[in-house]
Amino acid sequence: MIERGEVAFGTTGRNHCLLHSGGRYCVTDQESAIECIDENLILRRIMPDLLELNDGLFVAVTESDLAFKERFLEGCAACHIPAHEVTVARALAMEPFLNPTILAAIQIPDGVFEPFRFCLSFLATALKNGATVRTFTEVTDFVCSDRNPTGVKIRDFRTGKTETIGGDIIVNAAGPWAGEIAAKAGVSVPEVPTAGVMVALDCRLNNMVLNRLNKPSDGDIVVPQRATSVIGTTSWKVEDPDLITIPPEHVERMISQGEKLIPTVRRVPMRAKMAVARPLIAMTGTDARELSRTFECFDHARDGVNGFVTITGGKTTTARAMAERVSDIVCQKLNHKAECRTREVPLTSYRFFFERQNVLKRRALAQLQTSDRPNIGFEERT
Amino acid sequence: MLTVPVEIFRFKPGQAQRYDTFTVEIAETAHVIDVIDTVWAKHDPTLTFRRACHHSSCGSCAVRINGAEKLPCIVRLTDVWNGRNPIRIEPLRNFPVVSDLLVEVGDFFERMSAASMTITCEAEGFLPLTVDTFAVAGVLPKTVELPDNLSRFNRFEQCIECGICMSACPTMATDNKFIGPAGLAAIYQARHKTDDPTRVKHLLGLADGEHGVWRCHSAFECTEACPQAVDPASKIMALRRELALRRLRKMFGLRI
Repeated sequence: MIERGEVAFGTTGRNHCLLHSGGRYCVTDQESAIECIDENLILRRIMPDLLELNDGLFVAVTESDLAFKERFLEGCAACHIPAHEVTVARALAMEPFLNPTILAAIQIPDGVFEPFRFCLSFLATALKNGATVRTFTEVTDFVCSDRNPTGVKIRDFRTGKTETIGGDIIVNAAGPWAGEIAAKAGVSVPEVPTAGVMVALDCRLNNMVLNRLNKPSDGDIVVPQRATSVIGTTSWKVEDPDLITIPPEHVERMISQGEKLIPTVRRVPMRAKMAVARPLIAMTGTDARELSRTFECFDHARDGVNGFVTITGGKTTTARAMAERVSDIVCQKLNHKAECRTREVPLTSYRFFFERQNVLKRRALAQLQTSDRPNIGFEERT
Repeated sequence: MLTVPVEIFRFKPGQAQRYDTFTVEIAETAHVIDVIDTVWAKHDPTLTFRRACHHSSCGSCAVRINGAEKLPCIVRLTDVWNGRNPIRIEPLRNFPVVSDLLVEVGDFFERMSAASMTITCEAEGFLPLTVDTFAVAGVLPKTVELPDNLSRFNRFEQCIECGICMSACPTMATDNKFIGPAGLAAIYQARHKTDDPTRVKHLLGLADGEHGVWRCHSAFECTEACPQAVDPASKIMALRRELALRRLRKMFGLRI
């Protein structure tokens, strides 16, 4: 696996930390909602120690939200998402900072993860099973035979060294950069990098994930995590996923929408704000907010290029399912018969990712002159 | 928009270390991580650094800003820039430098594993969590009830394993095998999650070892630098108190 930065350096690192129950999409995007609840249940099994599992509430703030309630409950039932209504009094007892004027509340099995450790756990497990992970390494070009990629040229940013590695099949899993990578192989991917802004508060105002009981829209969800609550999000198309400038009005919109769910939001200082591009799959004539959050795997044999597959779209919650889908396709193309086991195998500790690197590096470092390394010891303190 | 000079520590294996100065155009409301991101995206893609969550939950981006250990994702540009001199960004101390701002964290994570630090813990029965919320925003804590299907609310531990305390700790510079503030705080947490005598003995044994709590010089730099209010120094002192009390009781033949 080749990654341009550290693990979770791109989109996944900066997501909203929401372990989706699927409730958010159960009316407007049921394919995505079913993917989410299925994966939610799998992730609870394979990474139980890495999740905050406090459920979530969808709350009606306005009459229009209330009118959505029946469709929401029908959507949950259609997508096998366990959902039940709780009384307003009970919701306020569970979430005392919730807007006291809410009209209805429905509890669903949302959860929260921490994206860095989420990714590290998967990669630590892969390392333990024989994978090689090259971080801080960029794919600069493809090596092709006719039009078919047979390898990639890479550059390690830590050392400046370049090399070429061969592959029977090359999988493009570069998220919103998938189009850029595909272009190097001479094909295109129907993808729309779509950014969203999130605002993290300086304290935690909710235990459960709080959502507006309506179609997904800007600032309609407050995800609590560790000692903060994170309000999200907006949705607009961007050209360059490397550097996204946060429009100040989006930050204000997060606060003004967030305070409809939790009025205290405006009184609490902001801890951080961030934006990142989602790799959504393009559909003609569709607004960024309405694009499906499902994922797709493109075998570029359809473009006359063999040995090159792109997996894109999706959400962090469905990352494992995306890997399963693309692995199945790779196995099929290589005539390799193997069952994907990632639904069942509990993940290795995320710390193993660095500990393993440490063991290997200790061996390599023993061969280096220690004088080559800079000294950043205590004596330098100013 | 501001025009901000930034001076960044650079190192690649086989090359001499140096500082590169960049001038970035950036919004006044930016955080320091946005400055580093801009240098990488617009000026020099070979700059290596860690980043992930951008809201102080992952701990990956820790560096020194103008000499002090910080998480650049929660430090506002205007809080560290005086309007003239470059902002200096350097890697954490007491970790081997791999490249630029990137440090080797394998040893650190091995220590955190040895200290049995878990990621989730039982939540308190109230919100909000931060102690100074009332002082800053006038928000008082409120008690919470549990949903019917949950036996407890849980949440991630405060410690994000950012390594800031290890960098700020003067003892680390004199004993590179010192378990360190984060590890000792983790031992304290693990010790208070168990009543099993064998487990307690193991954890206290770690804390009482050659590179444990007695190595600490009581500088309290860790608590000062910690961005998550873990307060490792007070946990080290609490472990010392427990160990001292156990020795005294043993000396007088009392039950430990």
